[in-house]
Amino acid sequence: MKVDTASEPSLLSAVALSRSYRGGKGVFDVTLKLAPGEVLGLMGPNGSGKTTLLRVLATAAAPTAGRVAWFGNANRRDPSVRRRLGIMLDQAAHFDQMTGYQNAWFFARQYGVPRILAAERLEELLRWCGLWDARDQLVREYSLGMRRKLNLVEALVHRPAILLLDEPTLALDYRAELDLIERLRLLTLTGIGVVLATNDVHLAERICDYVVFLHQGRAIREGRPPELLTELAGSKEVQLQVNSPVGLENLRSLPEVQAATVEGDTVHIILARGANPAQVLAVLNGTADLVSNMRVRRPNLGDLFLKLTGVALPAEPK
Amino acid sequence: MLAGTVWQRELVEFAQRRRALVIKLVFPLLVAVPLVLSNVPAVYAATTLTMLVAIIGPLGAGAVLTRERQNGLVLRYRTLPVTPGRLLIERLGTNAAIDFLQVLPVLALIALRHPGQFAWWPALLLSVAGVLLIGNLMGAVASTLSDSPGEVMLYVIIPLLPLLYLAGVFTPLTQPALLVVSRLLPFSYLHESLLGALGGQPNLLPWETLLGGFGFLVGAAGLTGRLGRRVLESD
Repeated sequence: MKVDTASEPSLLSAVALSRSYRGGKGVFDVTLKLAPGEVLGLMGPNGSGKTTLLRVLATAAAPTAGRVAWFGNANRRDPSVRRRLGIMLDQAAHFDQMTGYQNAWFFARQYGVPRILAAERLEELLRWCGLWDARDQLVREYSLGMRRKLNLVEALVHRPAILLLDEPTLALDYRAELDLIERLRLLTLTGIGVVLATNDVHLAERICDYVVFLHQGRAIREGRPPELLTELAGSKEVQLQVNSPVGLENLRSLPEVQAATVEGDTVHIILARGANPAQVLAVLNGTADLVSNMRVRRPNLGDLFLKLTGVALPAEPK
Repeated sequence: MLAGTVWQRELVEFAQRRRALVIKLVFPLLVAVPLVLSNVPAVYAATTLTMLVAIIGPLGAGAVLTRERQNGLVLRYRTLPVTPGRLLIERLGTNAAIDFLQVLPVLALIALRHPGQFAWWPALLLSVAGVLLIGNLMGAVASTLSDSPGEVMLYVIIPLLPLLYLAGVFTPLTQPALLVVSRLLPFSYLHESLLGALGGQPNLLPWETLLGGFGFLVGAAGLTGRLGRRVLESD
Protein backbone atom coordinates (compact mmCIF):
# COMPACT_ATOMS: atom_id res chain seq x y z
CA MET A 1 0.00 0.00 0.00
CA LYS A 2 1.24 3.46 -0.78
CA VAL A 3 1.95 5.87 2.05
CA ASP A 4 -0.60 8.58 2.60
CA THR A 5 0.92 11.60 0.91
CA ALA A 6 -1.92 14.04 1.32
CA SER A 7 -0.71 15.57 4.55
CA GLU A 8 3.02 15.40 3.80
CA PRO A 9 5.06 18.28 2.41
CA SER A 10 6.59 17.88 -1.04
CA LEU A 11 9.98 16.23 -1.29
CA LEU A 12 11.01 18.51 -4.07
CA SER A 13 9.56 21.71 -5.46
CA ALA A 14 10.64 24.04 -8.23
CA VAL A 15 8.99 27.37 -8.86
CA ALA A 16 9.55 29.32 -12.08
CA LEU A 17 12.88 27.56 -12.45
CA SER A 18 15.16 28.57 -15.30
CA ARG A 19 18.65 27.51 -16.20
CA SER A 20 19.96 29.07 -19.38
CA TYR A 21 23.16 28.52 -21.27
CA ARG A 22 24.97 30.61 -23.83
CA GLY A 23 23.29 30.15 -27.18
CA GLY A 24 19.83 30.37 -25.65
CA LYS A 25 19.44 26.72 -24.64
CA GLY A 26 18.30 25.52 -21.26
CA VAL A 27 15.03 25.30 -19.33
CA PHE A 28 12.74 28.21 -18.68
CA ASP A 29 10.05 28.93 -16.14
CA VAL A 30 9.38 25.37 -15.06
CA THR A 31 7.27 24.75 -11.98
CA LEU A 32 6.90 21.27 -10.54
CA LYS A 33 6.41 19.39 -7.32
CA LEU A 34 7.25 15.87 -6.18
CA ALA A 35 5.28 14.22 -3.41
CA PRO A 36 6.48 11.22 -1.39
CA GLY A 37 5.82 7.98 -3.23
CA GLU A 38 5.26 9.77 -6.52
CA VAL A 39 6.97 9.14 -9.86
CA LEU A 40 7.30 12.29 -11.92
CA GLY A 41 8.23 11.88 -15.58
CA LEU A 42 10.01 14.55 -17.61
CA MET A 43 9.42 13.82 -21.28
CA GLY A 44 10.69 15.53 -24.36
CA PRO A 45 12.93 15.00 -27.37
CA ASN A 46 16.68 15.52 -27.26
CA GLY A 47 17.45 19.17 -26.56
CA SER A 48 14.11 19.80 -24.88
CA GLY A 49 15.82 20.62 -21.57
CA LYS A 50 15.05 17.52 -19.52
CA THR A 51 18.69 16.70 -18.81
CA THR A 52 19.36 20.31 -17.85
CA LEU A 53 16.33 20.30 -15.57
CA LEU A 54 17.41 17.03 -13.99
CA ARG A 55 20.90 18.41 -13.39
CA VAL A 56 19.44 21.38 -11.56
CA LEU A 57 17.18 19.12 -9.50
CA ALA A 58 20.20 16.90 -8.78
CA THR A 59 22.13 19.95 -7.43
CA ALA A 60 24.74 19.62 -10.18
CA ALA A 61 23.80 23.01 -11.62
CA ALA A 62 22.39 26.16 -10.09
CA PRO A 63 19.22 27.70 -11.45
CA THR A 64 19.72 31.07 -13.16
CA ALA A 65 16.24 32.14 -12.03
CA GLY A 66 13.47 30.75 -9.87
CA ARG A 67 13.70 28.57 -6.81
CA VAL A 68 14.25 24.90 -6.07
CA ALA A 69 13.84 23.35 -2.63
CA TRP A 70 14.62 19.83 -1.47
CA PHE A 71 12.74 18.84 1.68
CA GLY A 72 11.98 22.53 2.11
CA ASN A 73 15.68 23.45 1.98
CA ALA A 74 16.77 25.67 -0.92
CA ASN A 75 20.52 25.34 -0.27
CA ARG A 76 21.67 22.97 -2.99
CA ARG A 77 25.14 22.63 -1.48
CA ASP A 78 23.85 21.50 1.90
CA PRO A 79 25.36 18.03 2.47
CA SER A 80 22.21 16.97 4.35
CA VAL A 81 20.23 17.59 1.15
CA ARG A 82 22.66 15.81 -1.12
CA ARG A 83 22.90 12.77 1.15
CA ARG A 84 19.19 12.15 0.54
CA LEU A 85 19.38 12.29 -3.25
CA GLY A 86 20.03 9.26 -5.44
CA ILE A 87 21.38 10.41 -8.76
CA MET A 88 21.83 8.80 -12.14
CA LEU A 89 22.88 11.45 -14.64
CA ASP A 90 22.96 11.14 -18.41
CA GLN A 91 26.65 10.24 -18.55
CA ALA A 92 27.78 6.96 -16.99
CA ALA A 93 30.41 8.72 -14.88
CA HIS A 94 32.81 6.18 -13.41
CA PHE A 95 36.43 5.74 -12.56
CA ASP A 96 37.43 3.47 -15.43
CA GLN A 97 40.63 2.22 -13.83
CA MET A 98 38.74 0.89 -10.84
CA THR A 99 36.48 -2.15 -10.60
CA GLY A 100 32.71 -1.94 -10.51
CA TYR A 101 32.72 -2.82 -6.82
CA GLN A 102 35.37 -0.20 -6.02
CA ASN A 103 33.31 2.44 -7.80
CA ALA A 104 30.09 1.50 -6.02
CA TRP A 105 31.91 1.31 -2.67
CA PHE A 106 33.36 4.79 -3.14
CA PHE A 107 29.94 6.32 -3.79
CA ALA A 108 28.33 4.38 -0.93
CA ARG A 109 30.94 5.69 1.51
CA GLN A 110 30.75 9.22 0.11
CA TYR A 111 27.05 9.22 0.96
CA GLY A 112 27.84 8.11 4.50
CA VAL A 113 26.82 4.45 4.37
CA PRO A 114 28.67 2.55 7.15
CA ARG A 115 31.07 -0.15 5.99
CA ILE A 116 29.04 -3.17 7.08
CA LEU A 117 25.83 -1.82 5.60
CA ALA A 118 27.62 -0.80 2.41
CA ALA A 119 28.92 -4.36 1.95
CA GLU A 120 25.46 -5.87 2.54
CA ARG A 121 23.60 -3.46 0.30
CA LEU A 122 26.13 -3.62 -2.50
CA GLU A 123 25.93 -7.39 -2.58
CA GLU A 124 22.13 -7.25 -2.72
CA LEU A 125 22.05 -4.53 -5.40
CA LEU A 126 24.82 -5.97 -7.54
CA ARG A 127 23.13 -9.39 -7.48
CA TRP A 128 19.78 -7.75 -8.30
CA CYS A 129 21.11 -6.04 -11.40
CA GLY A 130 23.27 -8.96 -12.50
CA LEU A 131 26.65 -7.31 -11.93
CA TRP A 132 27.79 -9.45 -8.99
CA ASP A 133 29.90 -11.76 -11.13
CA ALA A 134 31.49 -8.79 -12.89
CA ARG A 135 32.11 -6.80 -9.71
CA ASP A 136 35.89 -7.27 -9.80
CA GLN A 137 36.17 -6.33 -13.47
CA LEU A 138 37.53 -2.90 -14.34
CA VAL A 139 34.74 -0.53 -15.35
CA ARG A 140 36.54 0.27 -18.60
CA GLU A 141 35.74 -3.32 -19.63
CA TYR A 142 32.02 -2.87 -18.90
CA SER A 143 29.45 -2.48 -21.66
CA LEU A 144 27.23 0.60 -21.69
CA GLY A 145 24.37 -1.43 -20.22
CA MET A 146 26.59 -2.61 -17.35
CA ARG A 147 27.75 0.94 -16.67
CA ARG A 148 24.17 2.15 -16.52
CA LYS A 149 23.30 -0.65 -14.11
CA LEU A 150 26.25 0.34 -11.96
CA ASN A 151 24.92 3.91 -11.99
CA LEU A 152 21.64 2.58 -10.65
CA VAL A 153 23.41 0.69 -7.88
CA GLU A 154 25.30 3.85 -6.92
CA ALA A 155 22.08 5.85 -6.92
CA LEU A 156 20.27 3.36 -4.71
CA VAL A 157 22.91 2.19 -2.24
CA HIS A 158 22.38 4.96 0.34
CA ARG A 159 18.58 4.57 0.32
CA PRO A 160 17.81 8.09 -0.88
CA ALA A 161 14.51 9.88 -0.31
CA ILE A 162 14.48 11.23 -3.87
CA LEU A 163 15.71 9.36 -6.92
CA LEU A 164 16.66 11.44 -9.96
CA LEU A 165 17.15 9.24 -12.99
CA ASP A 166 18.11 10.39 -16.47
CA GLU A 167 17.09 7.85 -19.13
CA PRO A 168 17.35 4.94 -16.67
CA THR A 169 16.35 2.31 -19.23
CA LEU A 170 18.87 3.47 -21.81
CA ALA A 171 20.96 0.48 -22.97
CA LEU A 172 19.13 -1.90 -20.62
CA ASP A 173 17.73 -5.16 -21.97
CA TYR A 174 14.02 -5.92 -21.59
CA ARG A 175 14.51 -8.12 -18.51
CA ALA A 176 16.57 -5.44 -16.76
CA GLU A 177 13.96 -2.83 -17.68
CA LEU A 178 11.20 -4.91 -16.10
CA ASP A 179 13.33 -5.44 -12.99
CA LEU A 180 13.91 -1.71 -12.75
CA ILE A 181 10.22 -0.91 -13.06
CA GLU A 182 9.43 -3.44 -10.34
CA ARG A 183 12.13 -2.03 -8.08
CA LEU A 184 10.95 1.54 -8.58
CA ARG A 185 7.38 0.50 -7.77
CA LEU A 186 8.54 -1.10 -4.53
CA LEU A 187 10.60 1.95 -3.62
CA THR A 188 7.71 4.33 -4.15
CA LEU A 189 5.64 2.22 -1.77
CA THR A 190 8.11 3.18 0.95
CA GLY A 191 7.61 6.87 0.20
CA ILE A 192 10.59 7.51 -2.07
CA GLY A 193 9.90 10.08 -4.77
CA VAL A 194 11.28 9.52 -8.26
CA VAL A 195 11.98 12.02 -11.01
CA LEU A 196 12.50 10.31 -14.32
CA ALA A 197 13.73 11.98 -17.50
CA THR A 198 12.85 9.70 -20.36
CA ASN A 199 11.80 9.33 -23.96
CA ASP A 200 10.50 5.86 -23.23
CA VAL A 201 6.75 6.28 -23.64
CA HIS A 202 5.96 2.80 -22.37
CA LEU A 203 8.06 3.28 -19.25
CA ALA A 204 6.37 6.60 -18.56
CA GLU A 205 2.89 5.18 -19.03
CA ARG A 206 3.62 2.20 -16.82
CA ILE A 207 5.24 3.94 -13.92
CA CYS A 208 4.74 7.70 -13.90
CA ASP A 209 2.05 9.21 -11.70
CA TYR A 210 2.55 12.58 -13.29
CA VAL A 211 4.18 13.66 -16.53
CA VAL A 212 5.62 16.99 -17.66
CA PHE A 213 6.17 17.48 -21.40
CA LEU A 214 9.16 19.65 -22.18
CA HIS A 215 9.65 21.29 -25.54
CA GLN A 216 12.37 23.83 -26.36
CA GLY A 217 13.07 24.23 -22.65
CA ARG A 218 9.51 24.92 -21.56
CA ALA A 219 6.86 22.81 -19.90
CA ILE A 220 4.13 22.73 -22.50
CA ARG A 221 1.69 20.28 -20.90
CA GLU A 222 1.51 18.27 -17.70
CA GLY A 223 -0.83 15.94 -15.95
CA ARG A 224 -1.52 12.37 -14.93
CA PRO A 225 -1.03 10.03 -17.91
CA PRO A 226 -4.64 8.73 -18.01
CA GLU A 227 -5.93 12.31 -18.00
CA LEU A 228 -3.49 13.36 -20.70
CA LEU A 229 -4.45 10.42 -22.84
CA THR A 230 -8.13 11.40 -22.75
CA GLU A 231 -7.12 14.22 -25.11
CA LEU A 232 -6.49 11.54 -27.68
CA ALA A 233 -9.52 9.40 -26.83
CA GLY A 234 -10.82 7.78 -30.00
CA SER A 235 -7.76 8.82 -32.00
CA LYS A 236 -5.54 6.33 -33.73
CA GLU A 237 -1.86 6.29 -34.49
CA VAL A 238 -1.00 5.05 -37.97
CA GLN A 239 2.58 4.03 -38.67
CA LEU A 240 3.50 3.69 -42.31
CA GLN A 241 6.78 2.18 -43.32
CA VAL A 242 7.59 3.79 -46.65
CA ASN A 243 10.01 2.94 -49.44
CA SER A 244 10.57 6.50 -50.60
CA PRO A 245 10.08 10.00 -49.14
CA VAL A 246 6.52 11.16 -48.57
CA GLY A 247 5.32 14.77 -48.71
CA LEU A 248 3.90 15.48 -45.30
CA GLU A 249 2.09 18.63 -46.43
CA ASN A 250 -0.49 16.57 -48.33
CA LEU A 251 -1.11 14.45 -45.27
CA ARG A 252 -1.32 17.40 -42.89
CA SER A 253 -3.85 19.11 -45.12
CA LEU A 254 -6.34 16.30 -44.46
CA PRO A 255 -8.86 17.31 -41.77
CA GLU A 256 -8.63 13.81 -40.24
CA VAL A 257 -4.88 14.14 -39.66
CA GLN A 258 -4.07 15.79 -36.32
CA ALA A 259 -0.30 15.45 -36.68
CA ALA A 260 2.21 13.82 -38.98
CA THR A 261 5.94 13.37 -38.83
CA VAL A 262 8.67 11.20 -40.29
CA GLU A 263 11.25 9.23 -38.35
CA GLY A 264 13.65 7.30 -40.57
CA ASP A 265 11.54 5.31 -43.01
CA THR A 266 8.43 5.47 -40.81
CA VAL A 267 5.68 8.05 -41.08
CA HIS A 268 3.73 8.62 -37.85
CA ILE A 269 0.22 9.98 -38.28
CA ILE A 270 -2.30 10.80 -35.57
CA LEU A 271 -5.83 10.41 -36.90
CA ALA A 272 -8.81 12.12 -35.31
CA ARG A 273 -11.70 10.19 -33.78
CA GLY A 274 -13.69 8.28 -36.37
CA ALA A 275 -11.17 8.75 -39.18
CA ASN A 276 -10.49 5.84 -41.46
CA PRO A 277 -6.81 4.92 -42.05
CA ALA A 278 -7.74 4.08 -45.64
CA GLN A 279 -8.29 7.81 -46.24
CA VAL A 280 -4.60 8.34 -45.55
CA LEU A 281 -3.59 5.69 -48.00
CA ALA A 282 -5.82 7.22 -50.63
CA VAL A 283 -3.86 10.46 -50.40
CA LEU A 284 -0.61 8.68 -51.03
CA ASN A 285 -0.72 7.84 -54.72
CA GLY A 286 0.69 4.51 -55.71
CA THR A 287 0.49 3.13 -52.19
CA ALA A 288 1.17 -0.38 -53.31
CA ASP A 289 4.77 0.56 -54.13
CA LEU A 290 5.24 3.27 -51.53
CA VAL A 291 4.03 1.67 -48.30
CA SER A 292 5.74 -1.55 -47.28
CA ASN A 293 4.03 -1.89 -43.91
CA MET A 294 1.19 -0.29 -42.00
CA ARG A 295 0.26 -0.44 -38.31
CA VAL A 296 -2.70 1.09 -36.56
CA ARG A 297 -2.65 1.28 -32.77
CA ARG A 298 -4.05 3.03 -29.73
CA PRO A 299 -2.28 6.38 -29.22
CA ASN A 300 0.13 6.90 -26.33
CA LEU A 301 1.88 9.80 -24.61
CA GLY A 302 4.35 10.03 -27.48
CA ASP A 303 1.47 10.62 -29.87
CA LEU A 304 0.09 13.34 -27.65
CA PHE A 305 3.50 14.96 -27.67
CA LEU A 306 3.56 14.71 -31.45
CA LYS A 307 0.10 16.25 -31.65
CA LEU A 308 1.10 19.13 -29.37
CA THR A 309 4.47 19.94 -30.90
CA GLY A 310 4.69 18.27 -34.29
CA VAL A 311 7.88 16.61 -33.00
CA ALA A 312 8.17 12.88 -32.34
CA LEU A 313 9.82 11.57 -29.19
CA PRO A 314 12.82 9.56 -30.36
CA ALA A 315 12.79 5.87 -29.57
CA GLU A 316 15.36 4.90 -26.94
CA PRO A 317 18.21 2.83 -28.34
CA LYS A 318 18.38 -0.59 -26.68
CA MET B 1 41.67 -2.18 -2.05
CA LEU B 2 38.55 -0.16 -1.32
CA ALA B 3 38.49 3.62 -1.11
CA GLY B 4 35.80 5.54 0.72
CA THR B 5 37.28 9.02 0.52
CA VAL B 6 38.46 11.17 -2.35
CA TRP B 7 42.12 11.04 -1.33
CA GLN B 8 42.01 7.26 -0.82
CA ARG B 9 40.43 6.86 -4.24
CA GLU B 10 43.21 8.87 -5.86
CA LEU B 11 45.80 6.60 -4.26
CA VAL B 12 43.98 3.37 -5.12
CA GLU B 13 43.52 4.37 -8.75
CA PHE B 14 47.15 5.43 -9.01
CA ALA B 15 48.40 2.20 -7.43
CA GLN B 16 46.31 0.15 -9.87
CA ARG B 17 47.80 1.84 -12.92
CA ARG B 18 51.12 0.01 -12.84
CA ARG B 19 52.42 1.13 -16.21
CA ALA B 20 51.71 4.76 -15.41
CA LEU B 21 53.32 4.25 -12.00
CA VAL B 22 56.58 2.98 -13.53
CA ILE B 23 56.68 5.74 -16.17
CA LYS B 24 55.95 8.38 -13.54
CA LEU B 25 58.83 7.19 -11.34
CA VAL B 26 61.37 6.57 -14.09
CA PHE B 27 60.82 9.71 -16.16
CA PRO B 28 62.26 12.27 -13.68
CA LEU B 29 65.24 10.02 -13.04
CA LEU B 30 66.00 9.85 -16.74
CA VAL B 31 66.28 13.62 -16.75
CA ALA B 32 68.00 13.99 -13.39
CA VAL B 33 70.62 11.24 -13.37
CA PRO B 34 72.88 12.74 -16.10
CA LEU B 35 72.46 16.20 -14.60
CA VAL B 36 73.24 15.29 -11.02
CA LEU B 37 75.92 12.67 -11.56
CA SER B 38 77.92 14.48 -14.27
CA ASN B 39 79.86 17.70 -13.94
CA VAL B 40 77.14 19.90 -15.38
CA PRO B 41 77.33 23.36 -13.75
CA ALA B 42 74.87 23.63 -10.86
CA VAL B 43 73.08 26.57 -12.50
CA TYR B 44 72.09 24.50 -15.56
CA ALA B 45 71.09 21.50 -13.49
CA ALA B 46 68.96 23.72 -11.23
CA THR B 47 67.27 25.35 -14.23
CA THR B 48 66.38 22.01 -15.81
CA LEU B 49 65.17 20.46 -12.57
CA THR B 50 63.07 23.53 -11.72
CA MET B 51 61.38 23.26 -15.11
CA LEU B 52 60.84 19.54 -14.57
CA VAL B 53 59.17 20.03 -11.16
CA ALA B 54 57.16 23.02 -12.40
CA ILE B 55 55.75 21.10 -15.33
CA ILE B 56 54.85 17.78 -13.64
CA GLY B 57 51.92 19.09 -11.60
CA PRO B 58 49.97 21.14 -14.14
CA LEU B 59 50.27 18.67 -16.99
CA GLY B 60 49.04 15.74 -14.89
CA ALA B 61 46.18 17.57 -13.17
CA GLY B 62 45.13 19.36 -16.35
CA ALA B 63 44.90 16.19 -18.40
CA VAL B 64 43.14 14.12 -15.72
CA LEU B 65 40.55 16.77 -14.87
CA THR B 66 39.83 17.46 -18.54
CA ARG B 67 39.19 13.77 -19.09
CA GLU B 68 36.94 13.63 -16.03
CA ARG B 69 35.05 16.70 -17.22
CA GLN B 70 34.44 14.96 -20.54
CA ASN B 71 33.18 11.68 -19.10
CA GLY B 72 30.84 13.34 -16.61
CA LEU B 73 32.79 12.69 -13.41
CA VAL B 74 33.21 16.36 -12.57
CA LEU B 75 29.43 16.75 -12.86
CA ARG B 76 28.95 13.74 -10.60
CA TYR B 77 31.44 15.22 -8.11
CA ARG B 78 29.23 18.28 -7.86
CA THR B 79 26.38 16.22 -6.48
CA LEU B 80 28.40 14.57 -3.70
CA PRO B 81 27.73 15.69 -0.14
CA VAL B 82 31.19 17.28 0.09
CA THR B 83 32.08 20.95 -0.31
CA PRO B 84 33.89 21.75 -3.59
CA GLY B 85 36.78 23.31 -1.68
CA ARG B 86 37.39 20.22 0.43
CA LEU B 87 37.02 18.00 -2.59
CA LEU B 88 39.58 19.95 -4.61
CA ILE B 89 42.03 20.10 -1.72
CA GLU B 90 41.75 16.33 -1.25
CA ARG B 91 42.20 15.67 -4.95
CA LEU B 92 45.01 18.10 -5.70
CA GLY B 93 46.70 17.50 -2.34
CA THR B 94 46.86 13.77 -3.07
CA ASN B 95 48.00 14.36 -6.64
CA ALA B 96 50.72 16.70 -5.41
CA ALA B 97 51.77 14.10 -2.83
CA ILE B 98 52.01 11.47 -5.60
CA ASP B 99 54.02 13.92 -7.70
CA PHE B 100 56.25 14.51 -4.69
CA LEU B 101 56.93 10.75 -4.47
CA GLN B 102 57.79 10.90 -8.15
CA VAL B 103 60.39 13.61 -7.51
CA LEU B 104 61.71 12.09 -4.29
CA PRO B 105 64.28 9.77 -5.95
CA VAL B 106 65.72 12.84 -7.72
CA LEU B 107 65.98 14.70 -4.42
CA ALA B 108 67.61 11.66 -2.82
CA LEU B 109 70.11 11.56 -5.66
CA ILE B 110 70.98 15.22 -5.09
CA ALA B 111 71.40 14.58 -1.37
CA LEU B 112 73.71 11.63 -2.02
CA ARG B 113 75.79 13.55 -4.56
CA HIS B 114 76.08 16.71 -2.43
CA PRO B 115 75.80 15.57 1.20
CA GLY B 116 77.49 18.73 2.47
CA GLN B 117 74.58 20.92 1.36
CA PHE B 118 72.15 19.48 3.93
CA ALA B 119 71.25 22.99 5.14
CA TRP B 120 69.26 23.38 1.93
CA TRP B 121 67.27 20.17 2.20
CA PRO B 122 64.34 21.42 4.31
CA ALA B 123 63.94 24.42 2.00
CA LEU B 124 64.20 22.16 -1.03
CA LEU B 125 61.52 19.78 0.25
CA LEU B 126 59.12 22.60 1.08
CA SER B 127 59.63 24.52 -2.13
CA VAL B 128 59.18 21.35 -4.22
CA ALA B 129 55.93 20.61 -2.36
CA GLY B 130 54.71 24.19 -2.84
CA VAL B 131 55.49 24.25 -6.57
CA LEU B 132 53.84 20.86 -7.10
CA LEU B 133 50.63 21.96 -5.36
CA ILE B 134 50.53 25.25 -7.26
CA GLY B 135 51.23 23.36 -10.48
CA ASN B 136 48.32 21.02 -9.82
CA LEU B 137 46.10 24.02 -9.16
CA MET B 138 47.22 25.63 -12.43
CA GLY B 139 46.35 22.43 -14.27
CA ALA B 140 42.94 22.26 -12.56
CA VAL B 141 42.10 25.85 -13.52
CA ALA B 142 43.35 25.26 -17.08
CA SER B 143 41.07 22.21 -17.35
CA THR B 144 38.05 24.53 -17.13
CA LEU B 145 39.13 26.37 -20.28
CA SER B 146 38.91 23.56 -22.81
CA ASP B 147 37.57 20.07 -23.44
CA SER B 148 40.75 18.97 -25.17
CA PRO B 149 43.64 17.62 -23.05
CA GLY B 150 46.11 18.82 -25.70
CA GLU B 151 44.72 22.33 -25.59
CA VAL B 152 44.81 22.30 -21.80
CA MET B 153 48.52 21.47 -21.92
CA LEU B 154 48.98 24.52 -24.11
CA TYR B 155 47.07 26.69 -21.61
CA VAL B 156 49.43 25.44 -18.92
CA ILE B 157 52.70 25.91 -20.81
CA ILE B 158 51.91 29.37 -22.19
CA PRO B 159 51.81 31.12 -18.79
CA LEU B 160 54.37 28.81 -17.21
CA LEU B 161 57.31 29.78 -19.43
CA PRO B 162 57.14 33.56 -18.81
CA LEU B 163 56.56 32.89 -15.11
CA LEU B 164 59.72 30.78 -15.01
CA TYR B 165 61.60 33.59 -16.74
CA LEU B 166 60.26 36.17 -14.29
CA ALA B 167 61.29 33.90 -11.42
CA GLY B 168 64.89 34.14 -12.63
CA VAL B 169 65.09 30.48 -13.59
CA PHE B 170 66.50 31.02 -17.08
CA THR B 171 68.76 33.97 -16.45
CA PRO B 172 69.92 35.83 -13.33
CA LEU B 173 67.83 38.94 -12.71
CA THR B 174 69.64 42.15 -11.87
CA GLN B 175 66.98 44.87 -12.12
CA PRO B 176 65.48 45.59 -8.70
CA ALA B 177 61.89 45.55 -10.01
CA LEU B 178 62.34 42.13 -11.62
CA LEU B 179 64.02 40.86 -8.46
CA VAL B 180 60.95 41.86 -6.45
CA VAL B 181 58.69 40.15 -8.99
CA SER B 182 60.78 37.00 -8.82
CA ARG B 183 60.32 36.80 -5.06
CA LEU B 184 56.55 36.76 -5.62
CA LEU B 185 56.81 33.56 -7.63
CA PRO B 186 57.25 30.10 -6.07
CA PHE B 187 59.63 28.94 -8.79
CA SER B 188 62.34 31.34 -7.61
CA TYR B 189 62.50 29.64 -4.19
CA LEU B 190 62.61 26.22 -5.80
CA HIS B 191 65.38 27.37 -8.12
CA GLU B 192 67.36 28.92 -5.29
CA SER B 193 67.07 25.85 -3.07
CA LEU B 194 68.06 23.57 -5.96
CA LEU B 195 71.06 25.79 -6.65
CA GLY B 196 72.01 25.56 -2.99
CA ALA B 197 71.49 21.80 -2.75
CA LEU B 198 73.52 21.23 -5.93
CA GLY B 199 76.44 23.21 -4.59
CA GLY B 200 75.86 26.34 -6.65
CA GLN B 201 75.75 29.96 -5.55
CA PRO B 202 72.19 31.00 -4.71
CA ASN B 203 71.21 34.58 -3.93
CA LEU B 204 69.10 33.68 -0.90
CA LEU B 205 69.99 32.08 2.41
CA PRO B 206 68.56 28.65 3.28
CA TRP B 207 66.15 30.06 5.88
CA GLU B 208 64.85 32.68 3.44
CA THR B 209 64.16 29.98 0.87
CA LEU B 210 62.58 27.80 3.55
CA LEU B 211 60.25 30.64 4.51
CA GLY B 212 59.34 31.33 0.88
CA GLY B 213 58.67 27.65 0.15
CA PHE B 214 56.55 27.29 3.27
CA GLY B 215 54.58 30.45 2.47
CA PHE B 216 53.75 29.28 -1.02
CA LEU B 217 52.78 25.82 0.21
CA VAL B 218 50.31 27.27 2.73
CA GLY B 219 49.09 29.86 0.21
CA ALA B 220 48.54 27.20 -2.44
CA ALA B 221 46.51 25.09 -0.01
CA GLY B 222 44.33 28.08 0.88
CA LEU B 223 43.88 29.07 -2.75
CA THR B 224 42.95 25.51 -3.71
CA GLY B 225 40.14 25.54 -1.16
CA ARG B 226 38.87 28.89 -2.42
CA LEU B 227 38.97 27.86 -6.07
CA GLY B 228 36.97 24.65 -5.50
CA ARG B 229 33.74 26.08 -6.88
CA ARG B 230 35.48 27.82 -9.76
CA VAL B 231 37.13 24.60 -10.89
CA LEU B 232 34.42 22.05 -10.18
CA GLU B 233 31.31 24.07 -10.94
CA SER B 234 32.25 25.78 -14.18
CA ASP B 235 30.43 24.46 -17.27
